[in-house]
Formats: sequence, C-alpha cells, structure tokens
Amino acid sequence: MKINKSLAEEILKIRESTLPTRKHSRKVTHWKENHRLRSGEGEALVFILPTKGCSWALAKSGGCSICGYIYDNPQESNFDMIVSSIKNTLRRTIEEGKFSIKVFTSGSFLDERELPLEIQTSIIQEIAKYDQIEEVVLESRPEYITDKILQNLAKNIEMSKIEIAIGLESANNRILKNSINKGFFWEDFEKSAIRVLSSGAKVKPYLLFKPPFVSEYDSIKDVLQSVSKVVSLGIDTVSINAMSIHRGTLLSEVFEEKLYRSPWLWSLHVICKEIKQKYPEIRIICDIVAGGKERGAHNCGTCDSEIIRKIQKFTLTQNIDELEEEMLCNCKEEWKSFLVLEKINISDYLHVPYLEK
Amino acid sequence: MRSFQPFSQQGFARILAETRTHFPLSPGLISIEQLKSIDGYSAFFNFPFPPTYSDMEINEYSLEWNLPEKKKDKALFTSFTLSSQPFYPSYISCNISSDDFTNYVETFISLPEQHKQIFTLPLSWIDSPFIDEVIKKDVSLIVLTGLPSLFNNQRKLTEALVSIRTKLPPDIALYLPGHISPEIYSFLVYTGIDFFDNSIAYFTSKKGYFLTSKGTFSLQNHPSCYCKDCMSSPPNIFGHNEMILKNNLAEIRFALNSGTLRSLVEQDIHNSVTFAAALRQIDRNYSSAFRLRTPVLSSSPIKCIGEESLFRPEITEFRERVKNRFVPDSNSKIIVLLPCSARKPYSFSRSHMFFRKAVKEGIGKFRSILSELIITSPLAVVPRELESIYPAKSYDIPVAGLWNNEEIEVTSSLLLEILSKYSSDTTIINHTYGEGYSNIIETIRTEIPNRILSTSQESSPTSNESLSNLTLALKEIVSDSQNVQIQGRPTIMKHLQAVADYQFGRGVGKKLFSGIIKIKGKYPRDRQIFREKEHIANLRSTDGFLTILPQHAQEIVSLSYNNLEFGDERVSGSNIYAPGCLNADKRIHPNDDILVVFNNQVIATGTAVVSGEDMNNMTSGILARVKKKHKVKK
Repeated sequence: MKINKSLAEEILKIRESTLPTRKHSRKVTHWKENHRLRSGEGEALVFILPTKGCSWALAKSGGCSICGYIYDNPQESNFDMIVSSIKNTLRRTIEEGKFSIKVFTSGSFLDERELPLEIQTSIIQEIAKYDQIEEVVLESRPEYITDKILQNLAKNIEMSKIEIAIGLESANNRILKNSINKGFFWEDFEKSAIRVLSSGAKVKPYLLFKPPFVSEYDSIKDVLQSVSKVVSLGIDTVSINAMSIHRGTLLSEVFEEKLYRSPWLWSLHVICKEIKQKYPEIRIICDIVAGGKERGAHNCGTCDSEIIRKIQKFTLTQNIDELEEEMLCNCKEEWKSFLVLEKINISDYLHVPYLEK
Repeated sequence: MRSFQPFSQQGFARILAETRTHFPLSPGLISIEQLKSIDGYSAFFNFPFPPTYSDMEINEYSLEWNLPEKKKDKALFTSFTLSSQPFYPSYISCNISSDDFTNYVETFISLPEQHKQIFTLPLSWIDSPFIDEVIKKDVSLIVLTGLPSLFNNQRKLTEALVSIRTKLPPDIALYLPGHISPEIYSFLVYTGIDFFDNSIAYFTSKKGYFLTSKGTFSLQNHPSCYCKDCMSSPPNIFGHNEMILKNNLAEIRFALNSGTLRSLVEQDIHNSVTFAAALRQIDRNYSSAFRLRTPVLSSSPIKCIGEESLFRPEITEFRERVKNRFVPDSNSKIIVLLPCSARKPYSFSRSHMFFRKAVKEGIGKFRSILSELIITSPLAVVPRELESIYPAKSYDIPVAGLWNNEEIEVTSSLLLEILSKYSSDTTIINHTYGEGYSNIIETIRTEIPNRILSTSQESSPTSNESLSNLTLALKEIVSDSQNVQIQGRPTIMKHLQAVADYQFGRGVGKKLFSGIIKIKGKYPRDRQIFREKEHIANLRSTDGFLTILPQHAQEIVSLSYNNLEFGDERVSGSNIYAPGCLNADKRIHPNDDILVVFNNQVIATGTAVVSGEDMNNMTSGILARVKKKHKVKK
C-alpha cells in the first residue's frame, strides 16, 4: 500500500471543501528570472499553464497534504490559447544569451489527461525553434513518464536539452506515505528516472524540506539521505524546496493550530553547505518561496533577508564560499534549541500558555 | 531492572534515585544540549548537531545522566538511548496514527534491553492497552508529549495526569518536554512529572522574557534582580532564566525532603487560575489516589492557609480514620466539645489549661466517664486521645473566627458521625463560642437525640463566667445520675488505644493495651510502654505514634492493616526489595510502620518507603526499610 487510508481521507475532506472555489478560466502567466544553467549563469523564462491541474490532487485519494497549487488552476482549459500565448511570448522575450525555459502546469506536463499529446508536441516544437534555449524544464509525476511520451519528445527536440523535474520530495517511503500522501514510492521514481536518463534527458528531483509530522532535525537528515540516494542514480541536479504553507491544505490546518513551524533558514544554510561539501559536482537549486514570511522559511526576522540573499547567491554561483561567510545572529542559539526540542517532542513546542497572557 | 527507584513519596511526587548508587536525580531538569557547566541539571541530551553526512548512520540520541564521577562505574546506566519515536505527534487523530503507534510499540518491544530505557508516549495514546505491554519491560523513562495543549483545560489535564500516573508504577519516571513555566513545576511534580527541560530558557531569553519563580515578565518591565547574571553587563538573560528553573526545582526537592511539598503546591497554584482549579479537581475527584500515597506518619508542619487546605490528603485521611477507626469508650457519659487552640498539642495551651482546671473541679474522681472532642478547622473533630499525633499536633491555621459553609458542612458531618458512636443518653456539653461553632451545633442538634448543654453561650470560653458554667454543669450531671458507680478506663489507656487503632487499624488498641499498662520515660525522649512489666512498645515523641516490638506485633497481625507478605522465612539485610514482596496491604501509606509477615508469622517490623498499592506494582527497588527483626530462639 502506497497510501495511508486515514490520512488520505483527512486530506480529501479538506480538498473537497476548498476545490469548488476555483476560477473557471485563466491566462498563461510568465516571467523572467536569473537562473543557474549547467553551462553557467543565464536567464530563465517561466510559464505557468492554466491546465485543469494535477490529476493526483483531483483524485479520490486527495492529493498531497502540503500542496495547494491546484486551487490556482482553472476548472476548464483552452489549449489553443495556451499554445498561441507561448508562441507570442517566446517571440517577444527570447533575445541573445542563454535561456532556460520552464513550462509548469502546477501538475504534470506529460500527463495526457492534463495536456493532450498533440498540445505537448506543439509547445515543444515552438520551443525547439530557438537555439538560445539550452534547457527545457518540464514537471511530471513519475507515472506519466512512459517510453511513448519520451519517444514523442525525442522526435521534436534534442533530448539533452530536456530536463524533467520530478517532485520526489523524499527518498523515504515512510515520509512519502505517511506525511505527504504522495501516492508513489522511491522505487517508482527510480524506474522513471532511469528511463529518462537512458533517453538522454536529465532529471531534476525536487526534495521537500520539512514535511508535516517530521521534525526539522529529522528532515535535515532526510534531505541529506535523499540527496545521496538521488546522486547514486547519476542525477546531477537537486532542487531543495523549503516548505511554504499553502492555504486549503492539511498542513495549513496544522499550522493554524500552532503545531507546525515553517523551516528555519539556518537549516537550509546547513543543508546547502553540507551537500556542496560532500558532492561538489552537484548543482543545488534552493529557491526560497515566501522567505522571511511566517508561512515560508524564516528565522527571527532580523537576519532573514541577509541569509536569503546569501542562499540565492549560492544557487546562482554554486560557490560554497558564499555560505562560508561569518554571519551570526543570536537566533542561531534559539534555532539549535528548537531543533533538539522539536525532535524530542514534535507537537507542542509552540504552545507556551504562560507567555500568552 | 529499572534505572530508578523511588524514595519518599508525597502524592504522586517522588524522589527518584539511581537504582544502584542511590544518587537522587528527580525531580530534575534536563538540558537539551551539553552546556559548559551542567551543575544543577539531572541530565543532558547528546545529539550530533547539526546533523551531517558523517553521522548519517547514527539513529540514536542519548540522554546522559549527571552522576558524580565516582558513582559512574557503579551505576546501572549512565546514559539512555532514544532510539525510536512514534511518527505521528500527539495532536494527530487516533485513526490516522493507530497503525503507526502499534508499529512503534512493536519495534520498541523488540529492541535490545539497553535501548529500551526511553519510551515516547503521545497524549492521545494514554489509555491504550499497549502501554501495559511496555510497562512489563524494563522501561525507565516515559516521554509524555502533547500535555501542554491541555494547560487551559483543568478537567482534562487532571484526568490525563492521574490516569497515566495510576497506570505507571512509581519507579518509572515521566519527562514532560517543552516550554513549561517554572511557577507550575511544583504542581506538576505533585501530580507525578519527574523531569522538565531548559528549553523555555532558550525560548524566553531570545524573545525578551524574564522568568521569575512567580511568573513571566517582558524584558522592558520586570522586577529587578541582583543575581550575578543580571548584574553583568550586558545582562546574561539566559543565565538568569536558567538559574530560575534550577532554583525552582531545588526548592521542590527541598520540600519533598522535608515533607512540605503540598504546602508549596498550594502556594504556587495561586499564580494561575487554571492550576488552582486543577488542584481542587484533584482533591475532589481523585482524592483517594493521592491520599494513599501521602504519609500519615510525619512530623512536618502543615500550614492550612488557603481554601485548598480543607481537602489536603493528610487531613482528609485524618477525618476518614477518625470516622472509621476511632472507637469511644463505652463508659463515656459526658462529652465536652471544646474550641481549638493555636498552640499544639492543645493541652499545652493556656486556654486548655483553664478548661482542664474547670473540668477537674466539676467532675472530680469520675474523669473516666468524660470524653473531650476538640472542634477545629480543617481537621473537623479531634478526640482528646489523638491530639498529640500528626497532623493534629502540627497544623496551623489563620484564625479570624469566620467559618465558611464548606468548613461547617465538613465539620458537622464528621461530628455527627462521631457522636452517633456514643450511646444516646450521653450528655453533650458545648463549651464553644462564636457564630461558626454555634452554626455547627445548630446543624447537629436536630439530628441526634442527646441532650446538649451550652456553657459558653454568652462570653468567651476562657472567661470566668463560662468556666464556672462548665464546672457547674459537670457537677450537676455527676451528682444527679447513677453514673457515679461506673469506672472507665484510665486516660493513658484511652490515649494508647486510640493511637494504635489510628495507626494500625480498628481493634488493635484493645488487643495490645489491656491489663496493667505503665509508661516510663519523659518528654522529649521516646516513652517506653510496659504491659504486665513487659516492654511491648515505644511511644515516639517526634510524631506521637507507636513502635511495636516485633515479638509483640504477632498479637495484632490478624487485625493490622499494615501487613506486607514476604516470600521467605527470614529477612536478610536491612531492606525489603520488590521481588521479596508477595502482597502488600493496599492501605499502607509511605512512612507507615509495617509488619513483615511470613506464613502469618511476623518476622520483622519496618518502615514503608512507598504506598502499598505501589509496592505491588514495583518489580525492583526498595519497598521498605527493616526496623527490627524478630529473633527466634532456637
């Protein structure tokens, strides 16, 4: 069983009450950002496609306990509008330089129920027209990465440009099943990843830092362990995603009960440093969503922006020296005590009844 | 074998000592990291920090006990490993986590012995039958997670605390991790928590809070403190807060050692409405669980200041025993009700000397047909015979002459119980004065057939007028009745019999003290009691109770409530250990004088360390200390 039934039921309850609030239609969103490509620093163009959303999140098992992206997807999608919008944007935006294109759907790009095969093909064909584009990042759950889909991609674009991002979250099946409700296990990821790598494309696993019910201390260990497992498959990039709390999720309810604290930036700092020291060849991407906010990774409030800047710079340059610099805020002591305490007692460290009066 | 054993019990609070070295560790503070100085801590967590690839294989975190170097070789364990934990925290609903918890318990039970010292118990699983499985193993420390979420609900809080602690034997320690405010430590210790940690010091110091033993203040506005940490510049707030935690626990340990924990708890709960309510809940609903574990034999002073004191376990126990075990002399024809005095025992006070003189004048040589009952709050009724035992001889109460309804109710109901033990032709002389007392007398007047005279209605009981009323009333009763022929027991006999019944059970006094009884020795020495010129017992002057010599204890073995059945015909060494105990009477309280029995033969006398109920639950450790062995001549 890859699902914890009672957990799934709980998630589904929350999902069912929030899903009807979705909008009916939406436009393609896109933006440009600085990005670390394999060949060096460059730019990335990000598209968010308004598909009907992740099939897993819409399924009867409720989807992931932490993900609220589905609420941004419309209930219906207009595929012609999507293709033409991408075409126009590419024409206007792609100039000289190195580019990475990220096509996200808040679901799986390779899922035919979300994006029919011919639409996938036309989008890839549009992208293939530009030589400046060195990398194309597509997101998918492992079950949609079939030989048929990969062959179709190979027909239309040079496979070495393709990078398939898979939301692995953790290499630990216990966490996948009991805290995220991911619906697949490490072995499924492994199979798909090998399939992608042998087709000549790249794999970028997303690792989730601090899922619910796992203490921050254990989660640091889990990320490190997951990285070493991922690296052993021959994968050269990992994306470390610190938890940000989406509304309409199980995690959000736990958070509102004051039973979850979003991760510390200190932990991210430690993780990046540790991985880079052990695997200097690996590209570590650590984009912090809602950094410094209560619902995103944060420290005490005074040192947040400084440490976020340093991690961003590290992601861009991949230079470990960016992290080496001495930065000491006295919240580091509190972080330390927090980690140990939370490890012993992952429940009510945030309840301080006597300070609230 | 567990790592701890309890010494000195008061309610659910115990002093836990390392089992081999007897070094006391609880109630104590655990540091969440290895600090430069671990003085004042009982233990610290030893975690690799932060986690790195090099310690990836380590799945165990250890808790290192702060034992003195010299004792470390002898100790059973110097550190525990925290090898696994349930995956779901206590706030997760039971149906999500049921498989997980079963899984955890199974893993835990299958661990090798040295890794089975710490068990983590989420609040939601307190009532689980799995716990019984775990208790059977030699687990020493239970980490109780999730409790602070009940800190605003006194009913659920007390229910949880009592239900977990009644389930656990007293040699299993409970550790409550998290930010626990030091002002409620004493309450939590009283209800059975043994360890706290210093995490609140880290948390508050950074957030700008200043701890004191009376509460938490913001750094901008707090009472000034002249400790070393506060006087340094800049002030070391962490150092100060940490010291407050240590000092608070030191104070609790001191109170436990000197037998005054309950008074400390009563003081401390006045800092918090919830906990004040929680203590009342406990006294009301779980009184017997606490009473059984509270020493009856003690000499520590009891200050009954708050409303809570009316239901202190030792006081409720006193009232219960007076109700169930006190047997008045069947020859009593007159009962005098007297007010209490500030000086204890009452007979030593000025007012009672006046009463004695007035009574002597009135009753003459017929002293033995007279019973004296002292009406007092919170003990309700103290028969003269029991005035020199704990707690009657060592309580104190602020007197303003005002009685509240609860006091009146408790006192009059006990008074009724006692008066109904006398025959209905006994005359009651009420020699008390004031509204509270007269309310009590009015309440009982309608319930009993006895004649009630009042001799101190108009003025204070020590006034000349009242005293002469008392003398006159007594004279009248003695002269006009046929009672004159009756000879009762001498006062000293009544006294010894009442104390023996109180201490060992109803009927013991009559069995032990009959015939010619002589007492030798003078206060403050222990007095020796001779029956038919044979030394049978001692009367202790510290607490007013009896020490019975083992060869005479045999006489009362069938009546005594304080028997411990031992598994061998001889006791070796000076302690009774858990494996030797076949069965202990559940009415044994800690500190009680007990009889060690084999095949209905008393083989030794001893002093209980824990309550009888707990003796039956313990699998290792000392249950009682041997006082004297019965040497059989061969």
